[in-house]
Amino acid sequence: MIPRERCAYSAIVDRPPLVLPNRARLVVWTIVNLEFWDIARPMARQVLPAPTGHVLLPDVPNWAWHEYGMRVGVWRFFELFARLEIRPTLSINARVCEEYERVARAARDAGWEFMGHAWEQMPIHQVDDQFAMINQSLGVLERFAGTRPVGWLGPGLTETEDTPDLLAAAGVKYIGDWVYDDEPTEIRTAHGPLVTLPYTVELNDIPMMLVQHHESAYFTQRCVDTFERLYSEGAERAKIMAIAIHPYISGQPHRIKYLEAVYDHVSRFAGVLHWNGAEILDWYMAARGNQ
Amino acid sequence: MTLPTERLDFSAIVHRPKLTLPDGARLVVWVIVNVEEWDPKETMPRTVLTPPAGGAPMPDIPNWAWHEYGNRVGFWRMLEAIDEHRIRAVLAVNGSAIGRYEPIARAALERGWEFIGHGFTQKNMQKVADERDDIRKTAAAIRDFTGKNPRGWLGPGLTETWETPDLLVEEGYEYVCDWVLDDQPVLLKTRTKPIVGIPYTQECNDVAMMLIQHHKAGEYFDRAVDQFEQLYRDAARSARIMALVVHPYIMGAPHRLKYFRAALAHIRAYRDVLFWTGEEILDWYRARRT
Repeated sequence: MIPRERCAYSAIVDRPPLVLPNRARLVVWTIVNLEFWDIARPMARQVLPAPTGHVLLPDVPNWAWHEYGMRVGVWRFFELFARLEIRPTLSINARVCEEYERVARAARDAGWEFMGHAWEQMPIHQVDDQFAMINQSLGVLERFAGTRPVGWLGPGLTETEDTPDLLAAAGVKYIGDWVYDDEPTEIRTAHGPLVTLPYTVELNDIPMMLVQHHESAYFTQRCVDTFERLYSEGAERAKIMAIAIHPYISGQPHRIKYLEAVYDHVSRFAGVLHWNGAEILDWYMAARGNQ
Repeated sequence: MTLPTERLDFSAIVHRPKLTLPDGARLVVWVIVNVEEWDPKETMPRTVLTPPAGGAPMPDIPNWAWHEYGNRVGFWRMLEAIDEHRIRAVLAVNGSAIGRYEPIARAALERGWEFIGHGFTQKNMQKVADERDDIRKTAAAIRDFTGKNPRGWLGPGLTETWETPDLLVEEGYEYVCDWVLDDQPVLLKTRTKPIVGIPYTQECNDVAMMLIQHHKAGEYFDRAVDQFEQLYRDAARSARIMALVVHPYIMGAPHRLKYFRAALAHIRAYRDVLFWTGEEILDWYRARRT
């Protein structure tokens, strides 16, 4: 199905507002992405293209750049979120549970939500048997974390025309790939409705740092600008602000303080909830029913 | 094939007769809001996120969704800022987007915005199957909705073929925005009667600034103010036109909107600056010339 067959256009101003508990204005949804980059293939992203621009295999410098995130960067995240008592959503390639068991265990022990994020980091279009991959990934996460994930994010948010149908068939309840609204929405699939949660390509260190090449400090500025706008709009209509980070990017020593500054800023305001995807989903299903 | 130099002669702005605006105004600002429909079966016109390890897998849902956000959410934020400053903007709209995003078209119509053609879909004019048909269908979509023929045209991505200006005049359009070569309107020859080129902008344009040059959001405000101050000074000698271009999926993002709003507020504070639509600029320019 093309997107239009799954969901008609809807202007946000034409919908009844959603209301958060205790008149809260805004939910901050933090998503930490953990990936497995296969050294046998071209790297998912590069900080340093090879001289002359050729794609070289193996690409050790860029593999190592990503590996730094798992060895060092992610521990800065764990420390930050433990201090703030925030339990983010973990968007995790299932293979990470095997290859970086130590990291996955730390997230599980800290009570983070596990969200499916494919088996490893490659466009979902290139996966031979997508349904098998989805089920394998969810199965591994279920065995590792003790509960089956309710959420899914495609690698690089990629989907084929069938992906939402396959995800719904595998028991997934929400996806993050449809960054087309400030509110959760429901889309049609061959196996019943699927909820979209407003993940982000704006407050996301991949577009900001690796594609647009912004300075580290701009992360704080853009998040604060977004927060101020959504917080103001949240007086009338519940808003969700997603922040999407990767340990090899925002976990760098020169960037971590700009991430910390975002949470420092937000902490000065009343009426802000820090929820994970499963909590947003539960609230949305109930809030929508009350309308 | 008609070359650009066959449509108009070179002319230095300092050597032209003075253009004056009514009531001692110095400068005209026009605000163009671009509303598009991106076909999920085609390559996305722009992207915010590349897929892991590159390539261009289809369909491209994340980038389709990123654009769709502008029409579901971003446009409505932008509208509030434009209303607040009592501006009648110009809606450059894909013909197909009028039906698809009817609430947007309705909001523009209710406010008396001008509708101009912007291709039937967001596809390079060099790639559409039948250019004349595309131009005609766009005019029909606008006429059916507003009751008026569009007078202006902006190519998708400002693209043209060698023939575009000729076709536009033959299909009833009176001005075109693709020729970003002056601070004043110009006349372009066509095989029938001339068409007016009105100064649009690649400079104060969020596509170029945010998606290609990757500037911080605040650069929209800084650049708009710098552009305005220079043009305002230049216009002491002869009237000039300044365009401000926005797309709901870019400047309508929560972190960017305030910089667009602040740019409008800064310029709105000048009493001798007019906020006009494209057709007001057209009518003024024609009246001055005769």
